Amino acid sequence: MRLARSLTFLATLAMVAAVPLPGQAGPDNPTFRDRRQAMVDLIASRGVRDSATLAAMRAVLRHEFVLTEHRRRAYGDHPLPIEHGQTISQPYIVAYMTEILRLRPDMKVLEVGTGSAYQAAVLAALGVDVYTMEIFAPLAESARRRLARLGHRRVTVRHADGHFGWPDEAPFDAVIVTAAAGYIPPALIDQLRPGGRMVIPVGSVYGVQNLILVTKDAQGAVTTRHLIPVRFVPMLEGLR
Amino acid sequence: MLPLARPLAVALVSAGSLAFEILLIRIFAIEQFYHFAYMVVGVAMLGFGASGTVFTLIRQRRFIDPSPWFATSTTLTAVALLGVPLLVGQVDVDPTRLAWDPGQWLRLAVVYLLLALPFGLGALAVLSAIAAEPDRPGTIYGASFVGSGVGAALGIAILWTLEPVRALALPPALAALGAVCTTSWAKPGRMKIGIAAGVLVASIAGAIHPFRQLSILPYKALPQVSAFPDARRTAEHTSPSGWVVAVESPAFRHAPGLSLAYRGAFPQQTALFVDAELAGASTRWPDSSASAMLDWLPTSAPYAIGDRRSVLVIDAGGSLEVANAVAHRAVRVVALELQPALIDLTAPSVSDQGALGTGAEIEWISGDARGYISRTDDRFDLITMGPIGGGVVGAGMRSLSEDFLHTVDAYVRLLDRLNDGGVLAITGWTAVPPRTNLRVILTVVEALRRIAPKRIDRALLVTRSWGTVTTLVKPEGFTAEEIAAVSGWATARLFDIEWHPDLAAPLARFNLTDEPTIYEATSAALSSRDSAARFAATYPFDVRPATDARPYPQHFVGTRALSRLLGSSRGDWLPFAEWGFVALLATLAQSVLLAGIMLLLPAIAGAGRVGMRRLAPLVGYFGAIGFAYMAAEIAAIQQLTLLLGHPVYAVAAVLTALLVASGMGSAWSDRLPAALAFRVTGLLVLILATYGVVLLGVVHLFQPAPLALRFAAAMVMLAPVAVLMGMPFPLGLRTFASESTDRVAWAWAANGFASVVAAPLAALTALEYGSRVLFVAAAAAYLVAAVAHWRARAQTA
Repeated sequence: MRLARSLTFLATLAMVAAVPLPGQAGPDNPTFRDRRQAMVDLIASRGVRDSATLAAMRAVLRHEFVLTEHRRRAYGDHPLPIEHGQTISQPYIVAYMTEILRLRPDMKVLEVGTGSAYQAAVLAALGVDVYTMEIFAPLAESARRRLARLGHRRVTVRHADGHFGWPDEAPFDAVIVTAAAGYIPPALIDQLRPGGRMVIPVGSVYGVQNLILVTKDAQGAVTTRHLIPVRFVPMLEGLR
Repeated sequence: MLPLARPLAVALVSAGSLAFEILLIRIFAIEQFYHFAYMVVGVAMLGFGASGTVFTLIRQRRFIDPSPWFATSTTLTAVALLGVPLLVGQVDVDPTRLAWDPGQWLRLAVVYLLLALPFGLGALAVLSAIAAEPDRPGTIYGASFVGSGVGAALGIAILWTLEPVRALALPPALAALGAVCTTSWAKPGRMKIGIAAGVLVASIAGAIHPFRQLSILPYKALPQVSAFPDARRTAEHTSPSGWVVAVESPAFRHAPGLSLAYRGAFPQQTALFVDAELAGASTRWPDSSASAMLDWLPTSAPYAIGDRRSVLVIDAGGSLEVANAVAHRAVRVVALELQPALIDLTAPSVSDQGALGTGAEIEWISGDARGYISRTDDRFDLITMGPIGGGVVGAGMRSLSEDFLHTVDAYVRLLDRLNDGGVLAITGWTAVPPRTNLRVILTVVEALRRIAPKRIDRALLVTRSWGTVTTLVKPEGFTAEEIAAVSGWATARLFDIEWHPDLAAPLARFNLTDEPTIYEATSAALSSRDSAARFAATYPFDVRPATDARPYPQHFVGTRALSRLLGSSRGDWLPFAEWGFVALLATLAQSVLLAGIMLLLPAIAGAGRVGMRRLAPLVGYFGAIGFAYMAAEIAAIQQLTLLLGHPVYAVAAVLTALLVASGMGSAWSDRLPAALAFRVTGLLVLILATYGVVLLGVVHLFQPAPLALRFAAAMVMLAPVAVLMGMPFPLGLRTFASESTDRVAWAWAANGFASVVAAPLAALTALEYGSRVLFVAAAAAYLVAAVAHWRARAQTA
């Protein structure tokens, strides 16, 4: 039996963040660049091999997606708290989930749980079109502004309940859910293109969940596979 | 001072301290997590031993008159019990950030120090009282015992009427009353009386308008669901067994393991919480379209083989299973739930049976399932449990919780309550790698071997969804038709059949795993006892069957797994960590370290005055009886929990009876010669060793009896030995430290530190080896004390 590869208990993804970041002298500087490189090296050493994913992680300025008081910790390989008990997840988990989706340029990806939009930015850096849904209206709005300011133009943010997916833009080549669900929403499976992959933390909403890969083959048959245990904040239903 | 005033004051201060400990654990368990509460309070209790160190250090520099110290420390205890909770509330500790934020450790240290203050001051009051009256240490120490026992009872009882933050008024009020007893109206005492009266008034005010509110960690379920759209709190109930809250929100949904193929409607649900953790949902069933969802839950597997007319649902309050039984045409449903408040909140939701199906007779019973199945003559077509192992349990936070429902002994009794053709269904959340469900399978097969059905090889059928495993057990064996029916039902829902009697090879089609571990475990378990044992021995986690003597079905990280995990890369072990177990180890490490330092301090500062060699038997004696007392107490609580059926009742009964009886023994010891300590400890060795062998059997014998009889039996088992356990400390004081305040302080420090260190150590022993071994460990410690006493007397001679 194999013990799951590199893992994290406190892997949590953001559904909240998006407060304005005051006092920015500029989007990047050599210190952050060095720290980001060190973060990517660590992620690579823990088993993420996909060069495009690693390049995307290197390209996205994570310190722009965390609260000001946590900026100096932005490139540590751990989650960080944001507001309302939400967290931005550990960089390794972001990279791991991205790699699992096996994305290619110009694919169409649905993300449920925009949060600080860091995951969406990483996906966009891979050259895919990202449709990301956020249940909290202020978060959706601030994510939209932040992404525009940082130049991530291939991301479309929508304030909506992710449990019902985004039927107008379906089908998607990949679906990534960045908040825990108590069950796998049927709409998301329906909106997955044959041959598509979905990664979602499921299980008990408030404890440790299992990161599950859902695949739909060319004939539309669905299978699941447990990847690693994670801990995400819950996926909210209904608009807020 | 009147002869009774000092013992009364000691009793009141001790009552306040113990009530404070109980309430602190309750509040931290709600605000943070159980394991964190245990760790914080456990370390803070070192304040008990610290008072001995402080006393010794000061005594080494100047003469101390213990009487004013007693009055002052009593008054300050009251002040600290009032003020410390407020100060602790100002320290923002987030335990989830301890892993990467050094600042959190600093805050935690501040919390430790603050919380240690009232315990230290309270202990100083008792110590100075003993020093002030060296001729009757048993009376003073006995008063402390009795006060602690009453404090334990009051600390638990007050939670029936007051929320924990309001209940915090009780400890300072008790200590303030104690302070009033200690001081006179003469001029030097007036200020202390004024302070004590002020604390008393402030306590009453705090009970009416709490000085602090619950500050729940935002990651816990209650604040998360409260943030849902249109969420509103609809009910709140406090009791010693938990703080129950119901929150309604159209956005909340709860359907553990729901099939990926389900496309129907979803019913409206209300989230239920115990201590701010999700405990389940109350569901409304407006029409049959909503109840259709029930048949797409993994827990519906047993209904696929035909109607189950009589159903026993265990842990019914937070589950959907009562509704599930009704929707599947059950005629009679017995719903068991330990938390009465959950029944109040859940029962009305299934009363509208018209929407669910035919009118079934539903009997809600508030109580423990083990007690019920021991007493009932009823038999059932289906007994259903689960899902287990999810939520906080999945995070390993309940790894330390005794659970007598998933032991071999429990499964034997459950299987015995099945009708011919009846099925026991146990659903558990999956983990990676599998743990909970493997233990369920190994445990249930061992139970089957004990009842020896004819067709054990056909008795198991295991299904797996994307997130859960359901183990169906039918002692008569599954027929080919039943297997086909469940297989068809499962396939339509994208559930896999992990095991059935005719399965020749692993067959996972929908939910893939790297290795067919459940198939291998089931195959090994059904082959023979030896092959089951071999499988468990080679599995990386401890999945051996749980028993009543070691009832920890959620504890998987034994020493072997721990060493393997810690040897892995940075962070890799974190998801497998059982946080309760980690907290226990952390508590033990911190306690040993701090106790060691604080015991060494006075030795370094000038133990030459006493003579270290002559101190060794004293420290050994008082350390041994400190450990022994705590070990025996924890073992007794564990075994009597099974007898009394409820952990809170068991803790209340055992603590109160044990401490009060010990207090009586302690007081009585003043009339006995000090030399009797050797015989008393020797007798305790014999009794506790015997308890280790026979007590659990006696508990099983009395389990079917009415509660009053079980309670009486518990008292008979406990009180005589507790009376004896109260004697060694005062008898030892007269032997080792009759005329030396220094030695009294040393004895106090050694006993205090050993007691505090013993709590996590005894819990670890119970976890790894069970309560029987813990009784034997307590007996062994009393043996050490007996030897130390014998050596001390030999030295004197």
